[in-house]
Amino acid sequence: MTSVILKKVEKSFGAVTVIPPLDLEIPEGSFTVFVGPSGCGKSTLLRLIAGLEEVSTGTLEIGGRDVTTSEPSDRGIAMVFQSYALYPHMTVADNIAFPLKVLKRPQTEINAAVAKAADMLQLDALLTRKPKDLSGGQRQRVAIGRAIVRDAGVLLFDEPLSNLDASLRGQMRVELSDLHRNMGATMIYVTHDQVEAMTMADQIVVLRAGVIEQVGSPMTLYEKPMTPFVAGFIGSPNMNLMEGQIAKEHGCDVLGIRPEHLYRCAPDDALLSGTVRHAENLGAETVAYVKTQQAGEILIRIDGKERLSIGDSISLTADRSNWHLFADGKRMS
Amino acid sequence: MFGNRSHYWWMVLPAFILFFGFHTYPALQGLFYSFTNFRGYGNWEFVGFKNYINVFKDSRALSAYFFTLQFAIVATILTNIASLAIAVGLNSNIKLKTFLRAVYFIPNVLSILIVGFIFKFILSNLVPGIFPDGSVLSRNILGNPDLAWIGIVIVAVWQAMAFNTLLYLAGLQTISDDLYEAANIDGASRWQQFRMITFPLIAPFFTINMVLALKNFLMAFDHIMALTGGGPGRATESISIVIYRGGFEGGQFAYQSANAVIYFIVILVLSIVQLRALKLREN
Repeated sequence: MTSVILKKVEKSFGAVTVIPPLDLEIPEGSFTVFVGPSGCGKSTLLRLIAGLEEVSTGTLEIGGRDVTTSEPSDRGIAMVFQSYALYPHMTVADNIAFPLKVLKRPQTEINAAVAKAADMLQLDALLTRKPKDLSGGQRQRVAIGRAIVRDAGVLLFDEPLSNLDASLRGQMRVELSDLHRNMGATMIYVTHDQVEAMTMADQIVVLRAGVIEQVGSPMTLYEKPMTPFVAGFIGSPNMNLMEGQIAKEHGCDVLGIRPEHLYRCAPDDALLSGTVRHAENLGAETVAYVKTQQAGEILIRIDGKERLSIGDSISLTADRSNWHLFADGKRMS
Repeated sequence: MFGNRSHYWWMVLPAFILFFGFHTYPALQGLFYSFTNFRGYGNWEFVGFKNYINVFKDSRALSAYFFTLQFAIVATILTNIASLAIAVGLNSNIKLKTFLRAVYFIPNVLSILIVGFIFKFILSNLVPGIFPDGSVLSRNILGNPDLAWIGIVIVAVWQAMAFNTLLYLAGLQTISDDLYEAANIDGASRWQQFRMITFPLIAPFFTINMVLALKNFLMAFDHIMALTGGGPGRATESISIVIYRGGFEGGQFAYQSANAVIYFIVILVLSIVQLRALKLREN
């Protein structure tokens, strides 16, 4: 198991700084997820750790060793790419065996390692196939197999599930979490999907424009977002971030309340009141868009058994403990 | 229904008439005359397979076959090695990449005869002046029966590299950078990446380059005419030159037609064998 420590790491392309100096510690054995919108620098940060991009300034340590200028192959890492990056002319077995073949390991060792990885990833029946004959999920497993066969201390994943359909993504999330538990390796995972971040991570790093907005466990980020950006990014549906008069009345710039924390109440007790503009009944829950007098359009998430129709008048409130108050872009204590 | 498609026929017909008139018909005529004693003029009569049998007894023709095969094989190998190396270089992240790609393609658009005459001047006048007396290159290699073919190979390879490089570049650009990044992380050296990833993935381009290069070099004519005219003596006489000289200048029209038919079959068989072998390797 291996920790990863970034000290004042900065990345510039010419005159453009995409990642201003940042400090980050990824504990050994953790499943850390870099999450953020497109262009926030999360993939660049991963590629800096992998050694596929050079660090402009600062130092990078993996397993206590300074690897800032080391070759990718000397960093003790393995990586799963968004495109899978499987060698199309090689069979599944050859793809998985590739890292060991280039290291000129004995054939018996290679065979054993491939068999072990194939068994772990349920690829036994596919070993003689080529990537073009595999489904997206199977290709993903082969890419993971190639990464784990090296026994690297740190596994890097660059949006590995983004090319899969929703149901397969859900299945692969579970499998990746299982893999992490079984291997115990440090895993760093990049995604723009906060559901993946919440369900798999034990540490989430939220990035915005190359800057770390907040680092913490999924529940910390959910319960105590430190900035309006994190508050709006983590959680699904997104938190209602209300500005203007309603925020001022409560002594802040932005008042945040999650859709699931709003509930119906008597008109006299209402924090917000308005009419239902649109309702999506998902069975177990209903997500509704409510046009309020106090804060414009907001989202609520209520039990699926509660029926809402477009045009219904509705009064809403939330427990004070579920309010998130922000001023000057920071959480108020 | 045919009426709706008639415009397609009008699009195809001119090319078909031109191709048949200027390619297929003369070829069939050549095949026909190969069974006669036609000299290119005057009367003729059928002689059966006599011309074909005589080709195999003709030491000049056999010597030309040997020279042509030797020249073609060496030039094909050298062209492909050099153009692949250049393509790999031009595909890397170097400065002036686009400019250099244009520069390397220039030989392809130059006239073979003009290039041949320029190189003839270089090899016979400039190069001997550079090297000290007594060394091999201090004398015009095109005047040396043992070395003249090397001069032809140099020019032929120099010119053929342009097109082969272009094809290899096209092949290299089909390979995703992700594969090299993955291999880099896996610890593959540059040579391992080339051997285990690049070369297998451009196999179809290698196949087509090898087949086209061998075919073109087997048909070598212009380079040799410009550089040595087939000399010194007959040291660099290719089949095409033998056919041209005998057929059009030596009154052996029918005999050289038979030679041309045999040569066509040789090129066809070699190309098919080469294509099959390389396709097998691809798989």
